[in-house]
Amino acid sequence: MILLQCPCRYLLQVLTTRVQNLEKGVELDCQWVEFDDVRYHIQATVKNPNILLLSLSLPTPPPETVFSGGLPQGAIEAIKAAYGVVLQILDPPRDGFNLTLKLNLSKLPPDEEHKQALLVKIASIREVVLGAPLRAVLRQLVSRGVKSNLNKLLSLVHRPDESFFVFPQVDKATVIFPMRFKDSIDTVLATSFLQEFVEARKTAGLGNAPPCLWSSSPPQELKGAPEKALSANAGFVSFVIFPRHVDGRKLDKTVWSLSTFHAYVSYHVKCSEGFMHTRMRRRVESLIEALDRAKPDLEKDDQPAQNRSFKRLSLKDGRGSFNSR
Amino acid sequence: MDPATSRPAVVIDNGTGYTKMGFAGNSEPCFIVPTVVTANESSISQPRTSAIKTSKLLAQHSAGVMADLDFSIGDEALSRSKSSSIANLTYPIRHGQVDDWDAMERFWQQSIFNYLRCDPEDHYFLLTESPMTPPESREYTGEIMFETFNVPGLYIAVQPVLALAAGYTASQCEMTGVVLDAGDGATHVVPVAEGYVIGSSIKSIPIAGEDITLFVQQLMRERGELVPPEDSFDVARKVKEMYCYTCSDVVKEFNKHDNEPAKYVKQWTGTKPKTGAPYSCDIGYERFLGPELFFNPEIYGTDFSTPLPDLIDKCIQSAPIDTRRALYKNVVLSGGSTMFKGFHKRLQRDLKKIIDARVVASEARLGGDVKAKPVEVNVVSHPIQRYAVWFGGSVLASTPEFLTACHTKAEYDERGASICRTNPVFKGIVFAYAAACAFMYSLQEATNSLKR
Repeated sequence: MILLQCPCRYLLQVLTTRVQNLEKGVELDCQWVEFDDVRYHIQATVKNPNILLLSLSLPTPPPETVFSGGLPQGAIEAIKAAYGVVLQILDPPRDGFNLTLKLNLSKLPPDEEHKQALLVKIASIREVVLGAPLRAVLRQLVSRGVKSNLNKLLSLVHRPDESFFVFPQVDKATVIFPMRFKDSIDTVLATSFLQEFVEARKTAGLGNAPPCLWSSSPPQELKGAPEKALSANAGFVSFVIFPRHVDGRKLDKTVWSLSTFHAYVSYHVKCSEGFMHTRMRRRVESLIEALDRAKPDLEKDDQPAQNRSFKRLSLKDGRGSFNSR
Repeated sequence: MDPATSRPAVVIDNGTGYTKMGFAGNSEPCFIVPTVVTANESSISQPRTSAIKTSKLLAQHSAGVMADLDFSIGDEALSRSKSSSIANLTYPIRHGQVDDWDAMERFWQQSIFNYLRCDPEDHYFLLTESPMTPPESREYTGEIMFETFNVPGLYIAVQPVLALAAGYTASQCEMTGVVLDAGDGATHVVPVAEGYVIGSSIKSIPIAGEDITLFVQQLMRERGELVPPEDSFDVARKVKEMYCYTCSDVVKEFNKHDNEPAKYVKQWTGTKPKTGAPYSCDIGYERFLGPELFFNPEIYGTDFSTPLPDLIDKCIQSAPIDTRRALYKNVVLSGGSTMFKGFHKRLQRDLKKIIDARVVASEARLGGDVKAKPVEVNVVSHPIQRYAVWFGGSVLASTPEFLTACHTKAEYDERGASICRTNPVFKGIVFAYAAACAFMYSLQEATNSLKR
């Protein structure tokens, strides 16, 4: 999987099994956490098998981002627009969560295709809620009405205590991510990975992609932002989004990709580390083979056991002399 | 305060057949997926000959990121390998041990990022291992977890100890008992005393879920049932899971089947994969002969012939004498292959027979003057046997001691992977633990009926 998927897999699984077994409603009380500190809690009782209570907790916003009523700007309208009568917002939300929704399974559309699409949409609740402000800004690019908040820096939360910035203008919107990583190895890998974004943009087939820039110092659009928000150990990535990137169905995908950009980079950095481990193991195997050839005579049954422990010990030695491609 | 401690820990139980993963504090795992990895088309088009290592490394490099990330695990892997012509499934865990670390790393990567969708840097991890794993394996696991995924803390628990935790009730919190862990790849009888595994008394038998499936497949084939050959293993497995049960007496059971075929013989219907035509076959004696393998292994092959109750008895007799009564009193079943109907009753009956015979013989020798206190035999069975290990892990990882017992990334950075060799056993606060178990246990009862 290259891109992070939009719907929450477990939630979709729960909803689909429940819908298929509506008569056999069982107790359910489960909580889980997704990346970027988004917590879910789902509850269902035997008494009302059609009702599910879904609670969502969002990452704590940094001081420069504004949450109105505990939710990002425009989230409530976005929920009502996306789900209609199937989901109902409960006030006050469950203790410790930002949002609690009552899901009525009996109000799902009867035909299979629409039902499945709506279930997928419900499982993507995170994107609807967290992406509401970004979606509002990007929709303005395509809409022909009066545009508000132009040329003003907007900061949106994407990780606990961290935000990214959007600078909307008349014909384009610049999205800037200050990238921070806790681990030093991650930072180094991420920096080279991000610089590749700029290189990749120049490939022949990607002419329509948003222009991308990377710099280690804050770009000029971030002049008005607070100091703390401008420290980034892996540089600043900016994308320029034009109306052609957000018209029609592309709006959803663009909003999701931008909201989870940091998670995407972090995922690929970890995959690269895994890939390097694979290569290191292969290299160690080949070195051990050379060593085995040098041994005078070897009993066949000793070999596998020796190889195993030998392999592990020398992997640590090999790490120090690791020399990347 | 370290934010990772406020979030539920991630509990992943990697077994030979299935992996159970989820978050601590829940009563059932989020996902139960088969432990299998498959590489998809773009990554297998690269030549993977082991002859020339350097060219393979270059080939991998030029294949690019797309090829490397294009793999899937679990049910998706199984369905993809069925539809594509190239069968390239890799089972990273064989007989309880990790064989292929590359595949295992990929499996964890997919399960963390695609299934659980959590950020590994935010959660403490609890992984499980079989009791027979070498310490190097734990080091390797620690290396992968700390280096690739940057987890803040890791604890590698032994599966039988977690299974014991799942067998608790509100009043009884014994950390002493014999765990019969019968999974897909390996069956172990592990005595645990006060939370510590008595390593020298671990007995294992080469019969597990996979062997029962093969036996059922063989019986069906010998009888001439019309099952398409490429599906026969899958069909045998489904038949085993749905229709097999444990009888109390084989001879009587044969008679019952012969006298009332309508009641006992079941039908299996399926569709042939190539033509789509439906077929149906009968399921008769294999219904009870499959699980009978545990009690009479000679019906399958001649190389192993100790029945399971005998083995459990031998195992307890080899444990220190002061633990034996407690071990007999608490025989806990865990693992998918113990879920046959009637399994625990049969096991309890057979085990009691052996012990009673021994007590009678010893009393006869002593001339009837000294009477031994009767030995209580109790085989504990509960509805969550299928993922008892995961459940025990979930409860254990929600206790506050768990965080202190974990190895942290700071320790790893300071001292290296060797810290993972030992994982101290800690007794969760007995009272809170029991209360937590009882609460989750009650949620279990209801949730299970949905899974079935």
